[in-house]
Amino acid sequence: MTADRPPALEASDLWFSYSAGRPVLRGVSLTAEARQITMVLGVSGSGKTTLLKLCKGLLGPQRGTVRVLGGPVVAARRSRLDPCVAYIPQHLGLVRNLGVLDNVLTGALGRVAQLPSLLRRLPTAELRRAQELLERLGIGHKADEKVYALSGGERQRVAIGRALMQEPRLLLADEFVSQLDVLTSRDILAIVRGIADEGVAVVVATHEMELVDRYADAVIVLRDGEKVLDRRGQAESIAAIALALRQ
Amino acid sequence: MLALIAALIGTLRNVGLLDSERLVRAARNLAIFAAGLFPPDPSTLPTLGAAMIETIQIAFAGTAIGFALALPLALLACPVLFGPSITGSVKLLLAVVRTVPALFWAIVFVVAVGFGPAAGTLAIALYSLGYLGKLLYETFEGVDPEVVEAVRSVGCSRAQLARYVLLPEAANGILALLLFMFEYNVRASSIMGFVGAGGIGFYLLGYIQLLRYDLLLSGLLLTLAVVIVIDRVSALVRRMFLIPVTSPAPAE
Repeated sequence: MTADRPPALEASDLWFSYSAGRPVLRGVSLTAEARQITMVLGVSGSGKTTLLKLCKGLLGPQRGTVRVLGGPVVAARRSRLDPCVAYIPQHLGLVRNLGVLDNVLTGALGRVAQLPSLLRRLPTAELRRAQELLERLGIGHKADEKVYALSGGERQRVAIGRALMQEPRLLLADEFVSQLDVLTSRDILAIVRGIADEGVAVVVATHEMELVDRYADAVIVLRDGEKVLDRRGQAESIAAIALALRQ
Repeated sequence: MLALIAALIGTLRNVGLLDSERLVRAARNLAIFAAGLFPPDPSTLPTLGAAMIETIQIAFAGTAIGFALALPLALLACPVLFGPSITGSVKLLLAVVRTVPALFWAIVFVVAVGFGPAAGTLAIALYSLGYLGKLLYETFEGVDPEVVEAVRSVGCSRAQLARYVLLPEAANGILALLLFMFEYNVRASSIMGFVGAGGIGFYLLGYIQLLRYDLLLSGLLLTLAVVIVIDRVSALVRRMFLIPVTSPAPAE
């Protein structure tokens, strides 16, 4: 972080509970920088998904603040969310009855004119960009297929395409490779690495240790809703992270 | 369990179904009725055919109008798009519409627009509105929240969310509901004529009043044939348009 440029994501002292008296996040703070992949590790139920939803504004913290590019994130249940923060949920959230290209094009909905978009008339430039993204992600030839007919790895690519269509400054991905085999996971993470290299801050929630070693620039470990480890750089050994997870 | 059985026996007694004298009389009347049904008299089939076509038209137009009204109301009742004051009001409105039986709506519209299929069509439309509205908003509420969240995250508006998520994700359910409602409305439309609201019901009631059960059976068989044909056509449409509920296994 430089003095004149705020971090892409700055979450401070986040507290959240779905039911009174049982917080799933307890004072968690997180900073994510552009060009870096920050991995949030933790076992199931440690609060990773909730943390990402708070950062996106899908949930509002009971205490604490979230700032993206210096501006506050205001949780909104029904009004528009900030398109510069892309969010890929665990099961990707693709629209089954739409084709591959249409799913990617939904990423542009935050910036296109409303009425034509309701008639499914999107600007040619957006169509071209969506097609280019699909080509770049290696599934250009699947543009007209329905997403339910794709393999797991192809669906990940569609979800990434939709996120990139938003032209995000921050990408939040929630365990989105957890159901893939190791090789496909590596392919997808390599794509994510490329996205980060283009200047996007990436936060990936995962419970897979081996991805950390290979792709993480920063790691935080959550346990029972609390942050138990926060390390920058790749100096942190896998053993230390594993220890933090298990303690 | 014993309390339930006791409640059932009490209810049966209250509604008169444990009155042996009445049951014997009913069996005798049913035998007379059944004997009068056979053989069916096909002589009025041309008239019944024309009335059946009118019945189908009432069901078709009524379902279409009901759907056109129900769809926007169902979206207004969807908590993903609107707050509790709007969704609650719309759900209450739909519940009120749904409380009124189709035949009562038919009487209301016979008074309003006069005898004939126009009254029947409006009655079926309102009846469909009540049920389709509820079934549609429940379908929308059943859309995978993760898909809703994922597309909301791109910064789209509520109208775009409805257009790109709720409607496509619920498309299977909407089509199935429409086909079901149309099938149901063909049956419902066949009694609209009982109160002068058009369709084959006018003739069916007339045959009952004239004790011409053989003609009544012809009308009922015609209705049954039409319902079976519609059922087959619906099944064909479902096979053509519905996507599989479960996705195929990833082919890594």
